[in-house]
Amino acid sequence: MTTASGQSLGGSDGRVELAPGPGNGEPSAAIQRARRPRHHWVVRVTHWVNFIALGLMITTGLRIFNAYPAFARKGESFCCYPFAGKPIPGVLTFGGWLAGARNYHFAAMWLLFVNGLVYVTFIYLHGEWRDLVPRRGDIRDSWEMVKFYLFARRDHPHQGKHNALQKSAYFAMPIFGALAVVTGLAIWKPVQLAPLTNLLGGYVWARYWHFLVMLCLVMLTVVHVIMVFAVDPYSIRSMITGGYNEAKSPEARNARPFFWRRSSATVPPSDGGFDR
Amino acid sequence: MNRRRFVTFSTSSIAAAALGACDSFGPKRATSLLKLAERKNEGLERWLFDSGSRNRVAAGARLSGRSFPRYFISDAMPVWNEAQRGVWRLEVGGAVRNPLSLTLDDLMKMRSTTQKVDHFCVEGWTARAEWTGVRMSELARAAGVTPDAQYVDFQSFDSDYHECWDIDSALHPQTLVAYGMDRAMLGPGHGAPARVHSPVKLGYKNTKYLTRILFLPTRSGGYWSDRGYEWYGGV
Repeated sequence: MTTASGQSLGGSDGRVELAPGPGNGEPSAAIQRARRPRHHWVVRVTHWVNFIALGLMITTGLRIFNAYPAFARKGESFCCYPFAGKPIPGVLTFGGWLAGARNYHFAAMWLLFVNGLVYVTFIYLHGEWRDLVPRRGDIRDSWEMVKFYLFARRDHPHQGKHNALQKSAYFAMPIFGALAVVTGLAIWKPVQLAPLTNLLGGYVWARYWHFLVMLCLVMLTVVHVIMVFAVDPYSIRSMITGGYNEAKSPEARNARPFFWRRSSATVPPSDGGFDR
Repeated sequence: MNRRRFVTFSTSSIAAAALGACDSFGPKRATSLLKLAERKNEGLERWLFDSGSRNRVAAGARLSGRSFPRYFISDAMPVWNEAQRGVWRLEVGGAVRNPLSLTLDDLMKMRSTTQKVDHFCVEGWTARAEWTGVRMSELARAAGVTPDAQYVDFQSFDSDYHECWDIDSALHPQTLVAYGMDRAMLGPGHGAPARVHSPVKLGYKNTKYLTRILFLPTRSGGYWSDRGYEWYGGV
């Protein structure tokens, strides 16, 4: 049995090289790493809380938007929204009526804000940010992923916890979340926080930025969910119990969206890993 | 596997229970949570409120003019009928040393302010107009508001329409009892003979067709506030 880096775990002949653990019977660092959940429980909890909070914010926000589904100040025109006057379909909204939606929106904003703060603080203190912060090679790696997905490259690019495209999406998510909060504050308090609202171009533009940030969050979420099912459905378990079988990772299965087998023939099934 | 089944079962049960407790306004249990959030938000909004804050509109900015929406809750546009009701008067009373009863002439003789500001509607639109009127702080000084006055109720002759404000917002320098709009007398579509106008509160808090300003030690509700809209409605 060898670790990922190929060092012997046995060491029974007395020649101790890179002793695996501090005492007898202690699993090696590699096995401990394999048994560690793929996502820390704080990440898993904040992920699903965020799912609820973002869902509430978007559906109630769309209901609020429907009270005036346009951006122009009365008596003026607005350059950049071609669907003015067309309400969002009711099934995508929540809250029932304007006041109901506003009450939900201004309550759920605290869930979104506090949960986002807990998540970002946690990944900063606990080190998970290293899997998400962009590095110099990420542009090249992203291009390689695109080539792979478009069948212009045979083998899945080597990756860490996430591939380069995932990394940029997951890195962008909290940034857009923060932008949603900032633009939201600007249209909630355009007089008391007038400097912020003016920085965003005034109330009308701030409301537009808030809407566009919402669209970006929706697109990130939709692509994320599609890719989970199309490339790595095994990761759903990793976001619930934390368990993940590396032998079934997209890299191991050479998985493209909608084009993959249950397990790869070239990689032997996992020798246990973390499976609960 | 057991755990997986447990997770699947419990998640679907929770989802089913949540959906079962829902009507089109969401889970009924949520109402108390929403009320709590509204109270906490009001605390934050009051803390954020600065009487030095100003809504500034560029001098050359275009006004909404005839596009400024008209709105009232009565079946027909409320117009003060002098033959039936006598001369219109604005009563200023409640927690004051010197209650006032002002005709439109009295109001227009007081020191006036003209300001070009935004109007923020709860629906999300804004409109711009130039308002002329008397600052609420001026009326409060004339009436001698007593220190126990913490709230102000603005009442109207548009059916039972009224809205109650915190005193800080009412005394903000941009809160006017306006009788003029865009350099003309206020029209019946916009609350003639006089209305409250302020950029520091959402449109629905700005009572039109004003009849009475009541300073109060405790808060009262309001037409839209009693129907589910936020009581504070600050901007």
